[in-house]
Amino acid sequence: MTNDVATTVEVDLDMIAEQVWSAFLNSGEDEAVFAAEDKGAHMDLAASVAMVGAYEGHLIVSCSHKASRDVASVLFAMEVDEVSQDDIGDALGELANVLGGNVKSVLPSPSQLSLPRVSATEHERWPGTVEVSRTVVSWRGEPYVLTLLSGSNHQEVSA
Amino acid sequence: MKILVADDSRVMRQIVIRTLRQAGFEDHDIVEAPDGAAAQTSVAEENPDLVLSDWNMPNMSGIELLHALRASGNTVPFAFVTSECSDEMRTKAEEGGALFLISKPFTAETFRERLGDILG
Repeated sequence: MTNDVATTVEVDLDMIAEQVWSAFLNSGEDEAVFAAEDKGAHMDLAASVAMVGAYEGHLIVSCSHKASRDVASVLFAMEVDEVSQDDIGDALGELANVLGGNVKSVLPSPSQLSLPRVSATEHERWPGTVEVSRTVVSWRGEPYVLTLLSGSNHQEVSA
Repeated sequence: MKILVADDSRVMRQIVIRTLRQAGFEDHDIVEAPDGAAAQTSVAEENPDLVLSDWNMPNMSGIELLHALRASGNTVPFAFVTSECSDEMRTKAEEGGALFLISKPFTAETFRERLGDILG
């Protein structure tokens, strides 16, 4: 199965990212920049949700360790040096979950969203998938790369 | 007043509680539940004035929780706070007796508009 929705989704990724950051993460002086330049910075962590059903794919948000601490710090209203690894995992996972839920709402339905998964990028592979949309959010000087993949590990993807 | 916040994500419970505070509802008591089954128990024990519930939760989903409460004769005001918000879900929620759905992401302004009449 292929999902020919790249154009639509590309627009929505920026809009959805802006809605999520504005509602949950922005606070006055540290406004996020959307559709920021992709400088190819190394990403330490990846949080992802899988979509299975009429649309098959993954929504991934990846960022640095510092960026992940910033997200957890704001979402849990804690100091950056107080957040635990569990806090970081839960915060990044929820970020992927809300982004994925909103992306799913503009994709073919019905489909189901998996629970979020958070891991080191060096341990993540996405065989059998193609990238259909990608954008970068810059927040507090750190890039957050949002990627929508089409296809899944258990099915063939047309070239 | 007492508000029960039911969501399997502790991050989302934290965000909902923070947004309630930002919306000016900081004087209300908050009770948390990590799934629908725990929320059902909490409604019986805590007798909240409002339930704000996620839709997708383990053990008992939000819509199952609403059906269970109404089947037992409980008429507590009930609203969904959910990242998925299809027409089908809105219809199910309405038929089940929910007040409305608030979709994630939400803002303090949304909470003020939707909850102002209930929480004062």
